[in-house]
This record gives sequence, structure tokens and C-alpha cells, in this order.
Amino acid sequence: MKDLNLTFNLNGREVSKKISPNLLLVDLLRDVLNLKGTKVGCREGECGACTVLVNGEPVNSCILPAMKVAGQSVITIEGLSKEDELDPIQQAFIEEGAVQCGFCTPAMVLTAKALLGKNPHPDESQIRQSLSGVLCRCTGYRKIIKAVQKASLDK
Amino acid sequence: MVSFFLGDIGMDSKGEKRKKVITREPINLRQFIPPQAEPELSVVGQAVDRTDAKLKVKGKLDYGADYPQEGFLHGKILRSPYPHALIKSIHAEKARKLPGVVAVLTAKDVPGRNGFGVVLPDQPVICGDKVRFVGDTVALLAAETEDVAQRALSLIDVEYEALPAVFDPREALKPGAPAIHEKGNLLNHHKLRKGDIEKGFSQADIILKRSYKVPFVEHGYLEPDMTMAIPQADGSILIQGPMQAPFTLRRNAAAVLGIPINKVRVKSISMGGGFGGKEDAPIDIGCRAAVLAAHTKRPVRLALEREEVTLQTAKRHPHIMDIKIGAKKDGTLVAFEGTIYNEKGAYASLGPLVNIHSAIMMAGPYEIPNCKVDSYLCYTNHPFGGAMRGFGAPQVCFAHESIMDELASELKMSPLEIRKKNAFQLGSATATGQILEESMGLRETIEACAKAFDWDRRYREAGYIDRERTRRRGVGMAMGFYRTSIGTSFDGCGANVYVHEDGSVLLYSGITELGQGSFTVLSQICAEELGVNVEDIRLVSPDTDLVPEAGPTVGSRSTTLMGNAIILAARQVKESILEMASQMLFVPVEKLEARKGRIYNQDNPGRFVSFKDVAARCMATGKRLIGQGWWAPPPLGVDPETLQGNPYFVYAYSTQMAEVIVDLQTGEVEVTDHVAAFDVGKAINPKAVEGQIEGGIAMGLGYALMEEIILKDGTIQNLNLQDFLIPTTLDVPDVKSIILEMKTKFGPYGAKGVGEMPNIPTAPAIINAIAHACGGRVRSLPANPERVYWAMIEAGGPPAQ
Amino acid sequence: MEGIFRDLHWGKGISIQQYLQPLTLPEALEMLAEYHGEALIIAGGTDVIPLLRRGDLRVEALIDITRLPHMNYIEADGESVCLGGLVTHAQVCSSALIQERAGILAEAAGVLGSPQIRNVATVAGNLISGQPAADTSIPLLALNAKVKILSPAGEREMPLTQFFLDQGRTALDCSREILTQIRFPALQKNQGGSFLRLSMRKALALPILVSATVVTIDPEKKTIKEAAIALGPVAPTPFRVLKTEARLRNSPISKGSLEMAAESAFAESNPRSSLLRGSMEYRKAMVKVFIRRGLSRALANAGGAVTEEV
Repeated sequence: MKDLNLTFNLNGREVSKKISPNLLLVDLLRDVLNLKGTKVGCREGECGACTVLVNGEPVNSCILPAMKVAGQSVITIEGLSKEDELDPIQQAFIEEGAVQCGFCTPAMVLTAKALLGKNPHPDESQIRQSLSGVLCRCTGYRKIIKAVQKASLDK
Repeated sequence: MVSFFLGDIGMDSKGEKRKKVITREPINLRQFIPPQAEPELSVVGQAVDRTDAKLKVKGKLDYGADYPQEGFLHGKILRSPYPHALIKSIHAEKARKLPGVVAVLTAKDVPGRNGFGVVLPDQPVICGDKVRFVGDTVALLAAETEDVAQRALSLIDVEYEALPAVFDPREALKPGAPAIHEKGNLLNHHKLRKGDIEKGFSQADIILKRSYKVPFVEHGYLEPDMTMAIPQADGSILIQGPMQAPFTLRRNAAAVLGIPINKVRVKSISMGGGFGGKEDAPIDIGCRAAVLAAHTKRPVRLALEREEVTLQTAKRHPHIMDIKIGAKKDGTLVAFEGTIYNEKGAYASLGPLVNIHSAIMMAGPYEIPNCKVDSYLCYTNHPFGGAMRGFGAPQVCFAHESIMDELASELKMSPLEIRKKNAFQLGSATATGQILEESMGLRETIEACAKAFDWDRRYREAGYIDRERTRRRGVGMAMGFYRTSIGTSFDGCGANVYVHEDGSVLLYSGITELGQGSFTVLSQICAEELGVNVEDIRLVSPDTDLVPEAGPTVGSRSTTLMGNAIILAARQVKESILEMASQMLFVPVEKLEARKGRIYNQDNPGRFVSFKDVAARCMATGKRLIGQGWWAPPPLGVDPETLQGNPYFVYAYSTQMAEVIVDLQTGEVEVTDHVAAFDVGKAINPKAVEGQIEGGIAMGLGYALMEEIILKDGTIQNLNLQDFLIPTTLDVPDVKSIILEMKTKFGPYGAKGVGEMPNIPTAPAIINAIAHACGGRVRSLPANPERVYWAMIEAGGPPAQ
Repeated sequence: MEGIFRDLHWGKGISIQQYLQPLTLPEALEMLAEYHGEALIIAGGTDVIPLLRRGDLRVEALIDITRLPHMNYIEADGESVCLGGLVTHAQVCSSALIQERAGILAEAAGVLGSPQIRNVATVAGNLISGQPAADTSIPLLALNAKVKILSPAGEREMPLTQFFLDQGRTALDCSREILTQIRFPALQKNQGGSFLRLSMRKALALPILVSATVVTIDPEKKTIKEAAIALGPVAPTPFRVLKTEARLRNSPISKGSLEMAAESAFAESNPRSSLLRGSMEYRKAMVKVFIRRGLSRALANAGGAVTEEV
């Protein structure tokens, strides 16, 4: 199995790596690039914990071949905030109590980021629709929705 | 051997029945820890931000799978394809020869006891003579890479001789049924006997008999289970991973490895959800990884894929519940008879404790003078039940709340009316004859919930919502009560509090963080008691080498039991602090108050010293700054023949009301509103309590409408999250929670446990609402569209009005 | 036994030897030919990758066609609408053109899976999966869509009614051929459509039953000129209830016609009992409900609502 060259924009910076052809994006991020913020929950594209933004759109990285992002831009949870600052969405999650075990949190935050980028003042139904691809077992979603609403108001 | 649990369920260490005489001992006054002057609490009762939230929103918190993997061997499990079979031979030479394979282990390679289990060690680390469910462990394998390990598994040849299997608990009890374990298929039988059941029924004006059923369901935590076992240079072993019960894992691993407990170190790391499932799954994979690590003398990492989590780990016990209920025509309950066939599956896990709990809770939060319950825990060749949020209560609550509604309907009473007539109040006796002497808020939750939900109007106004008369709205309610902690004879827990010369604090607590917020809440209690800020406390993650025995993080026990232990520990240090402050301020100790880092004269708050300065002085003069607390609940016990007595020391209460819209043609159900009221004693962190409520209700909604592990010939048909369905954002309504505080004298600042209560009455509230909306009564969960459809057909069609 | 082994022992990744990203159609066909059936075309991959992980599919190479130019368009072409082979569900769902000219397709594209899936999964891929209830195949079947298939031998066009051969098998051999275009006549005046879906939860759920109905009415005669009704899963492939459609031809717009159609479709359908998604009896009963509702809504959208009371 010959390695392939992959170059893409990751969290604002260009990255080049030699990877094996069968590598999936989530494993590229976690195992090769050591970015552990993207989580693995099911490897079937069913739970959304592995969500990252590719060209600004939420996708399930667990079923996306890594080579697909060649020349594209990818944002992971690590790319959302520098050092100690927090994106307003992250801040809202903390204040609203929208974080319990935290496993779905990176995916929820990124999906919300993509939503608010396109629709700065979504109503509750639009928020629910856009988050419908990320499962949460802890929160019942209520505080997550409140956090997104808060972040959209604070903008 | 875990003998201290078994005494409570009337068994000795060989699993034999033992006579135990229960006496009611006087309560030791040290059980009550009077809170400090209540007026304004500075930290407790505040919706403080979670201490771990910042790391989580940044994706910087390391879960088990995020730990570095260099140097680790990858462990895998070879699983049985048969539900019940003898193992005739295992040939692993081909697998062992594969480059990169370091070890392939069979039963004979287990160094110590080839058995683990929270209550009974009846589950083999590696099956030797036979397998008992599809997925049972037949061999363990460790290799340099996951890829090699996966390939090597398929090279192990196992010859089985299939045995007849049994998949229904009632079949399993019949004579001649295939024996799954040596002692037969009845693991235990609990009997609750109160009053005179025959007399009770003879006094009834109406008697109803119904049968209810609930399936296996999965916890569905987003983080799949994994573990790391790392042999240490000094001959000890470290096992770390997400887990709710580090001490239970430790004692099991020690026995399995054949080494003393003090040679096993267990660390619980942050979990991506637990819900009871990470009580025993980590023991399962932890012991197995430990055996591989001990054998290979190298670190071993064993991680389950989602499908393997479903295959291998414990689930909620299915129950088949037959109820016969008798009442007067004014709705007063006079007799309750229940029979539970509690399906154990292949191994004991937490089953024996779930079974006693189900029997105790079966009759519900009602004053019933005559009760008889028989609960049979039966092995089958299915995957096994363990602990899952509610521990028997969600199952029986579905049954008792359903039959209350069915009874109300027969008597032409409203569901609210019949419950008010019979609900517990202060001084009531439970089905075990326990007098509820304090912290009783059930009726208050009924009032608060009914008011917030506008029950009377909505109940009256239910009906068709479209011109074509295809959709109908209905409302339903349910109530429940739930214990704080597990009621076993060993239920103590300890905490250490160390204050340093700069005023910073280390808190040592063995309670784990599942996501429920325990780390934050326990830090709040510590801060309140010491008189400092939450930011001054650093909680040391549960490490059995560092923290005192705490018991497992289960049974809604953490806030109450560990909270008390922390208060006692903090008070030891506070003694020194107040004595020193008294010297520094020339004010008697009784006049001093400590809040938010200052100790001051109550009568003259302007005169204060900082906690920091006092701590420094203590250190400089050799005054004790370490505190240790130990708290165990008051003596409890029930008669093993009748379950009469005090099984638990305090209960939380809840009333929930749901509104649904049912599509009368398809059976689809939409939950459009849900209101829930709780008596939690004291909400240490109201936002965290709300979080438990909202999440628990979502879980209950899933149980009501969509969750079911589907089995065919012993094989699970829905292993992944595509086919085992839990609620999404589009399935759960906006939920309103009402928190009431009827303080218990047993809990820190009056707090009772709340983690499990929310998901208990939810399902029956929804099922009752469905019946109200469409006339169809679903008695077998989940009420998916098809089941609702058939229920409507059985009822002869939707209501006319 | 091998399948059972795989059902009990799960791995992380997929085992392919090569991942190719051709830049032109001829290049793609060449690569396919080189592999002699051991390579598979992939676009979004949301079906293929899980199948590879589970071992239900085994190939040496994946040929990712998402770089191919001129395959990602949604255009009107006279009375027809054309979709390129790389159009995603998200694009179809949010396309103003499709919402206006074939609303049922936009609706179907908007409920499949989740937003994450819809962002990468292609409509062409949904057709090629050959699943009897593949969400977009149902309205496309009712819309009398045609697909263009490119192979080394050239391009051919085929009506969707001939495209589905069996469960998981279509007329397209994705180790040799590429689906380049989907086209269908847009809904005209006096036409209306409806899309219905029944599932166990509201997102990320495969359907218990899904239907698409397109009716053409004669407003003066108050009759149903033509009805196209697609259902799934009531057969191994997405299914048009042709006998029912024949009976509906020129029948009056009335409750009686709806009932007749419901009974007829009930007889024509053959859903299996699924342990996961409903028994045969229930699914057949739902066929009746969906036929009545589907026709009723489609007629209303065509401007010919059924007005009788029960």
C-alpha cells in the first residue's frame, strides 16, 4: 500500500502529510495529527460525535476518507479558539449548563458555529434541525439549544 | 469475595440462602450532620459553572480513547456465536504464529479466580467449559497493532457443541429447562409480604389484572468503553479508564490476578456518559485487559467498538410484570399483588440487587395496606442486565403507573384524583412497612406539576386537533419515588480534605464524574463547609491509591453520602482554622463565621482574617490541616422473607405530566410538552439538577417510544446506533422542571440524590398520555408507531369525542 | 460462519489498497477498467464506507469522483430538471428550482439521515444503493426520472423504472460505470405531488414506509388523468404500484377513488416483516394510509382537493 500526499487547510493553516489510502478523516485528525477533540462514538455516521466542518459544512469525519479533504478547508474544535479565549458559542455552552459529559460538545459547538455563520438568528426549530445529526444522551438538548440561542443574541 | 452485599439479599458467600434476623437499631445521632447556619449559603445552592466545562468545550479534556497509545499492546476478545454451548476445543496456534501477536489466552491462563462480578463472581474472565450468551468471551488476544489483533482473532479455531438454549425467563423456570448455571436458572426470588392479601382483595369493590412488559435497552452513552492495564515495575498493576466503580474493579482485578488488593491501583478518568453501564463494563474489560497485561508483562489497551459495547456490556433488565390490584369504588387502594419475571440474561452482574429493588418498589408511591410481590430473577441465554439508571424502578414504575390509570379509567376517576387519594404523605407506610418520617414532598410535586402544566384544563380539552380527525391530543401523568443510595450493608464512603499554607485545598474523593456534575457539586459542598470559594478547591481525580474507599458512583448516592463525608472531613480542618482565627481576632470560636475566604466576627464582620493567613499560621505552628471524613447511612435492613423493614433511608419524589399528539392512522406519537416536578431535598447546584432532569426525561422518552434491543435466537439484531434508537433534538420537547426542596436531615444541606429519579416516571406519563389521546393502551414498551396502532385496534378505535 | 464472525468482532478502519481521485471522466473510466471490477466508484461515501468497515463489501481501490467537473449542477432544461451525478442531498433540499418545480424531491432530500450526511451524500449515490426505501429514489421514481450512465462503451439513458433490479442491485455496475445525470420532467400546472415518510424517530432513522405521489388532474372533468405512486419498502426495490395507477387513470377525484386505490395498492404491495422496522401486516396497513393521504395531498397541491366529507 503506497502512501498518498495530502495537503489541506486545517484550522487556518496549511498541512501536508503522507498518509495511507485507507485512512479516514477522524483517524487522520486524532491519530496522525494528534488532535483529540474530535470524538469517535459509532463509526457509522449515526451519532455525529465526529463532526468537523469541511468548507464550513458539518460532516461526519468517521466515514469520510481523509483524501477527500485534499485542497479543502477543515475546522475542528481546536480551531475554534486560540489559547485561553473562547468563542462566544463555547462561552454560552458553559454559562447555560449545556455541557455534561462533554463527549458530544465539540460536535454540537461546531455544528452551531456553522449554523450561526449562515443564519445568525435562527429560531428554535431551525436550531433543532441543524443539531439533529448529533446525539446527546446526557442533556436532553434543552440547555444546548438555549446556549445556541444565547450565542446568537450575544453576537 | 463480596460477602457484605449478599447478606442483604439473604445469601451467603456460596450463594446459599441464609436466615438473617433484622432488628431496628436506634439511629446513631452522628448520622445527622446539622448544617451550618442556613441564612445565606455562599456556594451551595448557586448555579456555579461546572469546573470541567471549559476543557470540554475546547475539546481539551482527555477521555480514555484520547490517551497516548504508544507502547501499548492492543487487546481483543474472541466471542461465542452460540447462545449456549460447550467448548470442546480451542486451537490458537495459527493465531499465535501471526507476526505481531504477543499472546492468545484461554481459561487456563487466568492466574487467579476465573470469575468477576459486582455481586457474584459468576462471569468467567475467559469461558472454560461453556458459553452462555452470543458474545461470551472464549479467548483473549494481545497484539502489537489493532489490525493484527483483528486478523489474528479470525485464526483461532473453536469447536463448540451447541446446547439447547432458553430465551424467556418463564421458560427458564420450568422444570427440565436447560440449566445455564450449575445451581439452576432461578438466581433469586424475593418476596414482599405486607398485611393480608386475601383479606385485602375480599374488601375490594373492583379488581383489575394486567400484565406489562419492558425490553432490554442500552445505556447509549456516546463514549464506547475502553480500558488500559499497565504493569508497574514494583509488581503492582495500574488499570485506568472511564468507570463508575474503581473500588469494585480493584477488588475484582485483585482476585482475578490472584494478588492482594493493595497491589492493584485503579484510576477512573473522565467519562463520556455512564448511566450505570460504566459500573460493570469496566470491570469486564478491566479484568480481561489486566490478565493480558499480567501475562505479557506489557501495557494492554482494550477498546470496544460501538457494536461490541452493545454485544458485550450490561443492559437494563427486561421485566414481565403481572399485577392484580384491588380498590374500593372511591379509588382507595386495598390490595396489590405483583409478580415480576426479571430476566437476568447470562450472568449475575447487578441483577440480585436490582431484583430486590424491583420487588420493593413494585407497588409504587401509594399507601396500600395489603401487598404481595414475588420477584423472580431468572437466567436466560441472552446478554445480561446490569445497572441502568433507576435500577428496576423504571420498569416497575411503568407497570404501577399504567395500572393506576387503567384503574382510574374503570372507576371513572381522573388520573390525578386517584393518585391524590392514595399518594404517600408524611407518616405514610410504604409497601415494606417503612414509615416516611421526613423529607416528603410527593404531594407538593403533584400540586406544583399540575399547576404548572395546567392539568385540569388540558385534561378536559384533549381531543381532535384537525378537521380530518386524524390526530388527537392527550395528556398523561405519572409519579414515582426513588431511594438515595443502595441500601446494602456496605455503603460507607470517605473523603480527605487537605488545606495548604496558601489556603488552596485538595479534595480527595473516590466519586467519579460521569457527566452528572459530581466534581462540581462536591467541590461546592467542600467550599461551603470550609468557607472558601469553589475556585480554591482542586478535586483529585479518583485514584484508589490516593482516595479513601468511596463505594461506586451509583444509586444517586454521590451528593448525599460523599457530601456528608466531605463535610465531616472539612470540619476537622475547620476546627483548626477557627481556633487559630479565634486567637488572631481575639473573638470566641462560637462567634466566628467563615465565608468565601474570610473568617469574621458575626457581630462585627468588618473584623476578619483571610483563610489564607489563618492556614499559613496553622501550618507554621503545626496545627492540623488535614481532615478525614467517613459517613455511612443509618442502619437499614429488611426481613428476607417478607421484605418488611427499612430498605433505604430517604427518598426523592417526582410527578411528571406529558402532552402528546397521536396520529390515529399511523400510531406515530409526538411528545409536545413535558412538565416535571421533583423534591430533591436541596439543590446544591440548581443548573446541574436541571441538567439531570432534562436529560433523564429525554432518556425516559426514549424508553417510552423507541428504545429496544431486538433479539432473535439469542442474537442482537440492532448493534449500532442506526438501529438502536435514542432521541434526537427533533424528538424531545422543551421540558419544564420544577425543583422543590424538602430537606432531609441525612443529607448535606438537606440534599437527596437526584440522578436517576428524572427518567423513572417519564415513560408511563407518556404512555398514559397516549392512551388518553387515542384510546390505545400500550402495555409492552416501546410504544413505537406499530404498537400504538395495534393498541388502538384492540381498543376498537379512537375515542369518539 | 464468516458473516457471523464479522458480526461479533468489529474493527476500526477500512482495508483498501488505493484511493484515487480522477480529474476527468475518461480518467475515471480508465482507472475503473484497470482494476477489473476490484475498484468501486465513491462520491459521498456515506453508504460505502460503513459497508467496507463491516466487511460487507470488499474492494482493492476506491475511485473518488467528487473532483470531476461538470457533474455538480441543478438546471432547468426546458420542461425538465437535470441534476448532475455529484449533486448532494443538501444542495437539492435547498435548491429554489427544485423546491418550485419538484417540491417532493426537495422534501425527500431534506429528511434523509442528518445534516452531516446530507452535506456529502449524493442523490446519485442514493439511487445506486438500490435500497427499496432509499429516500430520493421514491420521488424520482414517481417523477418518471431517467438516469444517464457512462461506461467505456459510451453513454446510455435509462428510465428509473428499469434501473432497480433487486435489493442492493441496480442496472449500474459501479465497478465499471458512472451515473452522470438524473433528469425528470418538472411538475406542471394541474400537477401536484406529495411525499410521506413514516419512521421510528424524527432524524437519523431509516423509514418504516415512504411514498411519493404525483397526480395530473383534469380540472374541468374533475378527474385524475394520471397518477404516479412510488412506495418503499414494499418490494425488493423501490416500487411503482402500476396496477393501482392503471385503475386510477381517468377516475373521478373523490373519496371513492382514494379508497379504491388504497385497497388496490394494499394488494399490490409485498413488504417483508422487519424485526427492526415493522411487521408486514402493519406496513401493509400503512400502505393504505399513505395511498389515501398521499393522493389526497397531491390532489390538493394540483388544485383538485377532494371535498367530500366522510
